[in-house]
Amino acid sequence: MKPNLLTLRIQRFNKEKDPSGWIEPFEVEVRKGMNLLEALLRIQDEQDRGLAFRYSCRGAVCGSCAMRVNGKDVLACRTHVEDLLEKPALIEPLPLFPVTRDLIVDMSAFFDRYRKMEPYLQAKPISPQVEYPMEEEKRKEIDPYINCILCGICFGTCPAFEKDSEFLGPAMLAKAYRFLVDPRDRRNEEILRAVNHQQGVWGCKTVFNCVKVCPKQVPPTYAIVKMRNRVLWYRIRHLISPSQPFGRFFS
Amino acid sequence: MEILSHDILIIGGGLAGLRAAIEAKRSGRDVAILSKVHPLRSHSVAAQGGINAALGNASTPAKDTWENHAFDTIKGSDYLADQDAVEAMCREAMERVIEMEHWGTLFSRTEDGKIAQRPFGGAGFPRACYAADRTGHNLLHTLYEQVVGLRIPVYEEWYALSLVIQEGRCVGALCLHFFEGRIVPFRAKAIILATGGYGRIYLRSTNAVINTGSGSFLAYQAGIALEDMEFIQFHPTSLYGTNILITEGARGEGGYLINARGERFMERYAPHLMELGPRDIVARGTQTEIDQGRGFEGGYVHLDLRHLGREKIMERLPGIRQITVDFAGVDPILESIPIQPAQHYSMGGIPTNADGETELPGLFAAGECACVSVHGANRLGGNSLLETLVFGERAGRKAAEQAGKEKKIPEEMIFRERLGAFQSRLDGIFGRKGEEPSFLIRDEMKAMMTSRVGIFREESGLLAARGKIQELKKRFLKTGLKQKGLAFNNELVQHWELEGMLHLAEAIVEGALARKESRGSHFRADYPKRDDEHWLRHTLAFKTEEGVRLDYKKVSITSYPPKERTY
Ligand SMILES: Cc1cc2nc3c(=O)[nH]c(=O)nc-3n(C[C@H](O)[C@H](O)[C@H](O)COP(=O)(O)OP(=O)(O)OC[C@H]3O[C@@H](n4cnc5c(N)ncnc54)[C@H](O)[C@@H]3O)c2cc1C
Ligand code: FES
Repeated sequence: MKPNLLTLRIQRFNKEKDPSGWIEPFEVEVRKGMNLLEALLRIQDEQDRGLAFRYSCRGAVCGSCAMRVNGKDVLACRTHVEDLLEKPALIEPLPLFPVTRDLIVDMSAFFDRYRKMEPYLQAKPISPQVEYPMEEEKRKEIDPYINCILCGICFGTCPAFEKDSEFLGPAMLAKAYRFLVDPRDRRNEEILRAVNHQQGVWGCKTVFNCVKVCPKQVPPTYAIVKMRNRVLWYRIRHLISPSQPFGRFFS
Repeated sequence: MEILSHDILIIGGGLAGLRAAIEAKRSGRDVAILSKVHPLRSHSVAAQGGINAALGNASTPAKDTWENHAFDTIKGSDYLADQDAVEAMCREAMERVIEMEHWGTLFSRTEDGKIAQRPFGGAGFPRACYAADRTGHNLLHTLYEQVVGLRIPVYEEWYALSLVIQEGRCVGALCLHFFEGRIVPFRAKAIILATGGYGRIYLRSTNAVINTGSGSFLAYQAGIALEDMEFIQFHPTSLYGTNILITEGARGEGGYLINARGERFMERYAPHLMELGPRDIVARGTQTEIDQGRGFEGGYVHLDLRHLGREKIMERLPGIRQITVDFAGVDPILESIPIQPAQHYSMGGIPTNADGETELPGLFAAGECACVSVHGANRLGGNSLLETLVFGERAGRKAAEQAGKEKKIPEEMIFRERLGAFQSRLDGIFGRKGEEPSFLIRDEMKAMMTSRVGIFREESGLLAARGKIQELKKRFLKTGLKQKGLAFNNELVQHWELEGMLHLAEAIVEGALARKESRGSHFRADYPKRDDEHWLRHTLAFKTEEGVRLDYKKVSITSYPPKERTY
């Protein structure tokens, strides 16, 4: 019997060689339980030392190896090649981000947005000797949003970018929410202000694509909807009591 | 020629590197981090089970203390740890962990809202603070967030290739901008190596694919001896197939190890602590079951979590469930997890004092690449995350202090010279025709290390390993490169990393051959007993033209005289 062969059609890009890019087919012998990252590493060893892609943990926790496989954005290390044997699989870099080389994209726009959110706890004062008290229930409420590995997969499937390329993006809005609901963080209005616009929570089309594709089951759309509700709630409160200092940001 | 200058350059963006950077920055220095991957992709992100600190939050009859923690660590180390360093680490553990909580780490909680702690192997108290089973992810993201807040610059996807030493002082490093293919000299008053472990010298390893130990090799090449390299930790429970880690926390929560006959076999090896014996003992027990035919076909046993129930698994071990479902198609709520031992941690490394200083002025090391030594012959679970924070902080502080005093600025000349020399070495490599690709050598080295320098060692196997390494080193000199240029040249980087791995492997083998005793993770079937009279000492491996030269140094003992280690 012929060994099981996997065919990958890989989108290549090398500015010096061919600025318009090309698709190159490769064949790899499949081993039991093999994932796509292992297949790519084999190709890099045995067939094309120049093939460029990112990797690190090989366990779906570091967020390095996001790419587009047959039109779907996935982590290569979490993708079984057994599922790709039917027909030649098309492997492309993540969409939206500029391609640097082959499957490596430039994620600086992603991390620029990340920094814009000021994604670090701005804590209420407390004695350095003790932890903040927190209910386990509260932790569980924040936990799903903490699990984001910043792989960039949610950006590619999000229709909000079609309308506005400056949209903050699902991962960043989930990150904002993570700090908003963290009882240790003293910010509240700052965070809401940072997302209360068309490139923030109001740009979302609530089609839940990001929730569906997230390899870590982070639900950004829920965060977005909850933040919208909070914004509305503040607006209403302002109508009732305009002296609330926070209200003026939303009037 | 372009030169980049900083007071302090930190090589490595894992927990140790980031923590060091934060401290040095807070001391008012100009600090930069340089890392071959984006900091969040560092291996630290994969740590699962927890970080030790004697907070005493769990409800136990007696209260945990840092002295208990120190004792457990020293006993766990099979008395090879330096006790003064262990005491420093355990004393500062609470402060470091609370600080992480204040910076945003989302630790799991007890019923009264405190940081939750779970039992870990070899620990007398539930001491491992955890964030579900994604402790490393939570800690690393928290530290990176702080780094962003402090606006510390990060050179992402740059490789440190060589240290620049002048008149017995480390004054900088040559680094490669991988995408642009430029080698740029960095000038610094202090350099901190925080480059992690070298698990990928082994075929079966829980480590990230990028853990090649190149930072340790930088120091070794610069003439610094590597310490205790023969002590390699094997983790008892890695997922059969991919060797992805299944945290000790799974046993901490009550998981059983079961052989093919359905027995809880740890009864034979650690009748009191059972599955929560220290790693070396559980790993040897597991491997013995497999070797003696009581495992399943293919070489694995079962980790059974089913009796914990859905709720506990979903709450405390959700990441583990995700891993076993994704990578083995096994749902631990319904089925047992197939596991086997695998290389997990590098106890040895660059010798430092408790402030991260190496013997080379200007050079510091912290984290898994360093050997302080707080783990001795066997690290306890939860202690290495702690090590990264405690000694990252200490190294950052000390480096800042020294950089403040250092007034001499080395001249450009020296960097120009070193760059020229490095370039001509590269030209030599590029000029070789190459008889075979280097990945074949890499794969043979890995398989050999797992089979001959693994959990069980003996003279004949180690001698064969020595012979094999010499052969591989010779063959390596005849490998060539197909890829030209420096930009995106994976082949070049892997070639360079392999050279380092071969040297580290050699130091491991030589240390293991010489050490005719069994201690902690180093088990010699031909010398199964610990021998304090001859071997209560640290190994030092020096790189020479002829190969490895071994020397030894004393273990620092404060208040815990060596005793027999039973569990
Ligand atoms: C799967 C797994 C789970 C673990 N779980 C736990 C746990 O629950 N508790 C615990 O205490 N410990 C645990 N450990 C151990 C612990 O995670 C590591 O020891 C620790 O994270 C190491 O951190 P570090 O900062 O020293 O190195 P790393 O996180 O490995 O970082 C090394 C950094 O150096 C950079 N680097 C390396 N070489 C170069 C170079 N030449 N040039 C430029 N940059 C370079 C890399 O890019 C990276 O940023 C676990 C380990 C594994 C394998
Ligand atoms: S390699 Fe880390 S997520 Fe795939």
